[in-house]
Amino acid sequence: MQKNLIYIAQLISLIVMWIFVIGIAIWILNLISISVELRDAPGVSIGISIIAIPVFFTIASILTYVFVGLQKDYKSNSKTSLEG
Amino acid sequence: MSKKIDYRNEIDATLYKPIYETGKGFYITVGIFLLLFLWALFMYITQVWFGLGVTGMNQPVSWGFYIVNFVFFIGISHAGTLISAILRLSKAEWRRPITRMAEVITAIVLAIGGLHPILDLGRPDRVLNIFTVGRLQSPLLWDVTSITAYFTASTVYLYLPMIPDIAKLRDKGGKFTWFYKFASWGWQGTEHQKKVLNRAINILMVMVIPIAISVHTVISYIFSMTLQPGWHSTIFGPYFVVGAIFSGIAALLIVMIVFRKVFHLEDYLKKVHFQYLGTLLLIMSLLWFYFTFSEYLTGIFAAEPHEMHIILYKFTGPYAIFFWMMVICNFLIPVIILGFKRFKTITGVLIASIAVVIGMWLERLNIVVPSLANPRMELTVGMYVPSIVEWALFIGGISAFVLGFVLFSKFFPLISIWETEEGRKESVKEVEKRVKSYLPGGEIITK
Amino acid sequence: MSKWAMVIDLDKCTGCGDCIAACKIENNIAIVDPEEANSGRVMFWIEMVSVYEGEFPNIKIKRFPKPCFHCENPPCTKVCPVHATYKNDEGLVGQIYHRCIGCRYCMVACPYTVKVFNWYEPEWPVEFRKCFNPDVSVRTKGVVEKCSFCAHRLIKVKEEVDLEGRDIQDGDYMPACAESCPADAIYFGDLENKESKVYNLAKSSRAKREMENLGTEPKVVYLSKRE
Repeated sequence: MQKNLIYIAQLISLIVMWIFVIGIAIWILNLISISVELRDAPGVSIGISIIAIPVFFTIASILTYVFVGLQKDYKSNSKTSLEG
Repeated sequence: MSKKIDYRNEIDATLYKPIYETGKGFYITVGIFLLLFLWALFMYITQVWFGLGVTGMNQPVSWGFYIVNFVFFIGISHAGTLISAILRLSKAEWRRPITRMAEVITAIVLAIGGLHPILDLGRPDRVLNIFTVGRLQSPLLWDVTSITAYFTASTVYLYLPMIPDIAKLRDKGGKFTWFYKFASWGWQGTEHQKKVLNRAINILMVMVIPIAISVHTVISYIFSMTLQPGWHSTIFGPYFVVGAIFSGIAALLIVMIVFRKVFHLEDYLKKVHFQYLGTLLLIMSLLWFYFTFSEYLTGIFAAEPHEMHIILYKFTGPYAIFFWMMVICNFLIPVIILGFKRFKTITGVLIASIAVVIGMWLERLNIVVPSLANPRMELTVGMYVPSIVEWALFIGGISAFVLGFVLFSKFFPLISIWETEEGRKESVKEVEKRVKSYLPGGEIITK
Repeated sequence: MSKWAMVIDLDKCTGCGDCIAACKIENNIAIVDPEEANSGRVMFWIEMVSVYEGEFPNIKIKRFPKPCFHCENPPCTKVCPVHATYKNDEGLVGQIYHRCIGCRYCMVACPYTVKVFNWYEPEWPVEFRKCFNPDVSVRTKGVVEKCSFCAHRLIKVKEEVDLEGRDIQDGDYMPACAESCPADAIYFGDLENKESKVYNLAKSSRAKREMENLGTEPKVVYLSKRE
């Protein structure tokens, strides 16, 4: 029971990370659209977004990669221990 | 705690001790710094209530302590992640007991420093405007973006190498086991898990270095993008980065020496660590001097009136004492102490580090205030004396750092246990193998 | 599109300070108490600046009024993080008080230091409170403000001109300082209008702009025979 609860909490924390990252991407895109609308140096905003957005996505992907990688072993291990 | 947790038989019992045993010192420290922090919070509420008039800022010195501390704290935050990433990347074996502390400093100080611009706002209630109508074209928003990126990256970079340690704590049981279970992400130390973790750490550490450098470069851009004399300089980016790493190493050394004493980590933090980091500090000190020298020499030689005016003001004006103290603290003291073997003891390194931290703070002050006090319209010469509120918030910032660090040390080991173990088991062999691999005639040595 | 500009004839200016008084009343600028004002928190949108040149006993005093220069290439709008200061199509540099977050970056970036900040909640004597100008919004504490070239007057003028079905003529739109100047030293008008006084005066040999080397292209021109 507790194990499931913790697993769900872990999933939620990962989802929160992704929401954060996607939120930042949406925010930056919103600022770009404002700068295009106001003709206020949109090139600069686009330049920053090209660097910033991938950075955040990479960080979130690394976290997800580690989580998935660790969980895979954890699950198979706990299964074998149950069988044994 | 119902049953005593058995950690004494571990080789690294010293590292577990602070987590399972809470002494009087812990409560006293937390109490004192919590009080200071609450005092600062109260002062901040008065500032929000009455307006920024309660500070010492005015026209034309419209930025003061908050921006100085912002730059300073962010500078300190470079200690961590950057140094630990460089040491990991260069496979320096002596890094093992240092990296964790360095990364914790980064995460905590970055959070504190990153909030400083909000303290500085006249209308903090409108800070969310940067989401709805922000201008990415403004250097302030570059900061917001890069600090957020650095904070995310450095927190992840602190967290990932901590997973095996969290798993150790989980297996020990006791209080908060559910939390450690949650945070350990099912780590069991299998080969595959180790491979995954190592790969992730490797990617992150390569990524974190450019992010860290970008952060302080962008902070210098706040100043250098304006037309103000003394600020409008292309050297500012690298100058700030060097200063940041400089103050970061000093802060790291102070923290290491303090916790070595308090947690009795003498077995882990040996003299060699302080000597190596001390040498690094010495190099940064010389590098800092080189940058400062170039910055002022170009100004003095060309002698553009506005630029010259500010340089003279820095050298001889009302803030001259801070300028010369900066030179003493950042250059003379560290070079004398760290340059001679006789002074390069742990006490010596501590004195040099404290001097450097003070000196770097003074440097931030010398950058922000004199330029603002002498605007291009030479009409209004400003004067800036910080008020009690600004001092309170400065002390509050430091208290928040101490509190954060002490609380962290209560829940997690300050020195990476698994990396120490790994070092014990593998690194001697590995280093031998590595050295042999590149040493000409290495095969002969084996025999 | 018009390009509003101001010409201040320093050879005519007596330094009486009438423009400052008119500006303060027109724009509901807070009255800061003397102690605060002396510590550098005085609130002026147009300021009388005194420059002392030379050494005693041969001192030359230069006095000139300094409003916001409404640069063509304003350094302040470039740095604002929230679009709270901007340059519009008619060349006016505006400030949105209800969007400003009070970071004071624009004050720092302005080479002419014309912006002022509301360090406290703005205050007025009771008499002032009874005669606020309804066309100008009253600011709150914690925001930056500055001379707007009395942009509220331009809105009024445009409405009047629309009703009468004609174009804006030279002299229709005058900021409070220009209107009140007893020596007629402040001219105001459209630089794009070749008939306007401002256009011709700005080309005079006496014309000088502050710190032209910065490339900000201020739209306030000083006329002076000296130097």
